[in-house]
Amino acid sequence: MAPTTSKRVRNTVVRRHFIIGNEAHVLPHPSYPDPPPDGHTKGWKVFVRPLPNGPDITTWLKKVQFKLHHTYTDASRTIEAPGPFEVLETGYGEFGVEIRLYFASESGEKAVYREHYLVLAPYGSDEQKAKQEQDNLVVAEKLETVEFNEPTTDFFKTLTSEDQFNWLKVKKGRGKGKKPDFVFEGEVEPSAELAEKPFTGVSGVGAGAGGAWSKVYEDQVLRGLAQSAASLEQAVEEERRVMEGRRKRMEELGVAVGAK
Amino acid sequence: MTSGADIRAALGSDFAPSITPSLPRATPTQLSQAIPKNSSQPRRHKRNLLVARRGGKAVRWSYESTPVSSRRDQLQFRRWRRPKKDEEPEPFVKFAKYDVRAECPEYDAEIYEAHLTHADWTKDETDALIEAYSDSYGKWPIIVDRYDSGQPRTMEDLKARFYGVSATVLALTTPIHSMTGPQYTLYETLRNFDPAKEASRKKLAEGHLQRRQTEVDEETVLLGELQRIMINQANLDSEREDLRRRLDHPVAGSAGYQYHTSQALTQLWQQLLQTDRMKKNQRLRATGKLSCNNEAVSRHDANIASGNPVFDGLPGATPTSARPRDSIAGIPDSGAGSSRRPTRDSLPSATTPGSALPIDMSKADLERFGVVVAQDKTASGITFASDRLTKPRIAKSTLQTDKIATILTHAGVPDLIGLPTPKVIEQFDAIMAKVHTLLDMRKLAEKEEQEIRVRSAEAA
Repeated sequence: MAPTTSKRVRNTVVRRHFIIGNEAHVLPHPSYPDPPPDGHTKGWKVFVRPLPNGPDITTWLKKVQFKLHHTYTDASRTIEAPGPFEVLETGYGEFGVEIRLYFASESGEKAVYREHYLVLAPYGSDEQKAKQEQDNLVVAEKLETVEFNEPTTDFFKTLTSEDQFNWLKVKKGRGKGKKPDFVFEGEVEPSAELAEKPFTGVSGVGAGAGGAWSKVYEDQVLRGLAQSAASLEQAVEEERRVMEGRRKRMEELGVAVGAK
Repeated sequence: MTSGADIRAALGSDFAPSITPSLPRATPTQLSQAIPKNSSQPRRHKRNLLVARRGGKAVRWSYESTPVSSRRDQLQFRRWRRPKKDEEPEPFVKFAKYDVRAECPEYDAEIYEAHLTHADWTKDETDALIEAYSDSYGKWPIIVDRYDSGQPRTMEDLKARFYGVSATVLALTTPIHSMTGPQYTLYETLRNFDPAKEASRKKLAEGHLQRRQTEVDEETVLLGELQRIMINQANLDSEREDLRRRLDHPVAGSAGYQYHTSQALTQLWQQLLQTDRMKKNQRLRATGKLSCNNEAVSRHDANIASGNPVFDGLPGATPTSARPRDSIAGIPDSGAGSSRRPTRDSLPSATTPGSALPIDMSKADLERFGVVVAQDKTASGITFASDRLTKPRIAKSTLQTDKIATILTHAGVPDLIGLPTPKVIEQFDAIMAKVHTLLDMRKLAEKEEQEIRVRSAEAA
C-alpha cells in the first residue's frame, strides 16, 4: 500500500455547502412515538444534510456523531454513511448539540466539532411565529460551508467525480440516466453552488429540506448587509465631523491658553 | 668741605676755640703704655709690618727665565724671584705629577713596514697622528682640529686609523692568547671600530639634539602607538587566526564536495532521474509544458515525453506508463485549443514547477464541484466559512465584544447570518472593518474630549 503521505493539490480549495439544523414539532405528531414519554412536549430532529441540489454529502462525510444533553440515555448518537444524518428525539428543553463530523479517509483529516443550538419554540417576528405555530413546525437551520484547503489528490478525485450527483438522478432505462428529476419549479441544475431560486427539495418539504437556500436568499442577505454597511458608514462620517469640530475647538483653546 | 677756618670766618672772632678739656692724665698703666707718646694727634698710617720685617729696606727681585726640568720641551719660563736663597723646589715640580701622558702605540719603522701599512696613510701621516694624540691627551676634537694632512680627514677616519694601529701594535706586543681580560676587550673594541657606523650614530645624536619640540611630541605619540600595537600584536594575531578558522570552517569532509560544479550537479540530477525512471511508481514527473512542434506527436506521448527541454534535458527518454495520463500543466499553448474534458481519472501532477493550474477542469466543472483555485494564502486543513462570520465579533475583552455587538445591532446586522457564501463573507468583512474604525474613532474622541475639558478649565 502506498504510504499515507500523499501529495496535496496546491492552491486549491474545495467548498461544500451543507445544512445543519433541527426541526421541532409540538407533540403529538405523526413522526414521533405516541404517547410521548412523560414530560416531553416536543419532538425534534437534528440533522446534517446536503443541499438538495448539491453533490452527495457522503462523498466527504462518513460519520456524524451527535452529542445530546447528558440527561438523555445514550447521549452520544453516531450515524454512519449513507443513512440520513439525523437524530429523532423527544424532549422539552433546548440545549446545544455538539456535532462531530468525521471526514472520508481519503482526506486524511481529523474530525471537527460544530455546535448547534436546538430550537424548539417559535422564534422570529410575530408573523414568522404565527406561521410556525400554524404549521406546527419550527425549523432552525444554518448553511455551513466546509472548505477543504489543499486536499489530497485522492480526495480531490472523489470530490470532482460526476458520481456525486447520482443520488439526484433517476435511473432511466439502462444504466444511470442523466435526467434530473425534479418535480417542482422546473429543473434545478445539480451543482455544488447555491441554487438560483428557492425550490422545494426532493423530500417535498420546502423549508426543512433546505430548499430555501438559494441565490435569491443570498441576495436578500447581501442587501441587508449592504444597508448595515451604509448605516455604519454614516456613523463613521458622523464621528469624523465631530472630530473636526473638536479639532477646531482645540485650536481655539490653544490660542486662549496661549494668550493668557 | 668746610674747615675750621671757614667756620671762624663765618662766626667772627667771637668764636674762640674752646679747648676741649682733655681727659685727665691717668697714672702710667698698661693702657697708657700701650698708647704711644704722640697720641694727641691721631695716627694716619699703619706701620707696615712687612716693611718692618725686612727692616725698612727694599729688596731687589730678579726676573729671569729658567728651564723647567719637568717639562719635555725647552720652554723657558720667566718669573720674578727673590734674590738667591736656598734652592727651593721649583713650583712646577709640584705639578709634575699631573703631567700624565696618554697611551699610544709605539712602533718603529720595521714594524710599520711589516704590519701597519695602509693605503690612505703614509708613515709620516701616521706618525703625526700618533703625536697629535699624545699631545692632546687623546682628545679627539682637539686632534681633529690640530691635525692637518694633505687630505681632508674626518674625525672618524683619524680614529679608525689610530685604533687600527693601536690594535695591531697591541696584538704584536702581547700575543692574543696571553692577553688579559681587559686587554682583550680593549683589543676587540679597537678592532671593531667602524667609522661609518660611528659617523651615522653621531649624526643621529646631532639630529636628536636639534629637533624641535613638536617633533619630540610627535615621536612620543608614535612610540606610544607602536608600543600599544606591539603589546596587542599577539592578541590580534590569535584573533585573526580564530576568525580565519571560523570562516573556513565547513571543511569539506564529506563527499558532497564533488557536487559543487555545475557539471557535477547536472550529472547528479540525471542520475536521480534515471533511478527514478527505473522504479515502478515514479515520483518525479516531467513538466507538462508542450513545445509547439509537438503537434504531430500523439497527445498521449506528447504529455509525457517532451517537457520543458530546458528543465528536463531528457527529450523523449521517459518511459511511458500504461495508464493514460492526462495533460498536466496549464496548457494554454498546447496544440489543442479547446478545454480538455477531465476524464474520470484526472490526476493532477505532483511536481509541476512551471504550471499554473494543477487541475485541468473547465470553469463550469469547477463551479459544479465547488472547486476554487485559491489566491495566495490558504489555511491548511479544514475550515468553516461560517466561522468567518462569527469570530470577528468576538474581541479580547468582553467589554469590547459588547461594544461591537451594540454597534452591529444598531447597524442592523443580524446575530446569526445563516448563509456564509463568499460574497456574504466579503460584505461582512467590510462591515467589521467599519466597526473597528468606528470603535477607534470613538476611543480617540473620548481622549480628545478629556483633553478639551482640561484645556477649557485652564483657559477659564
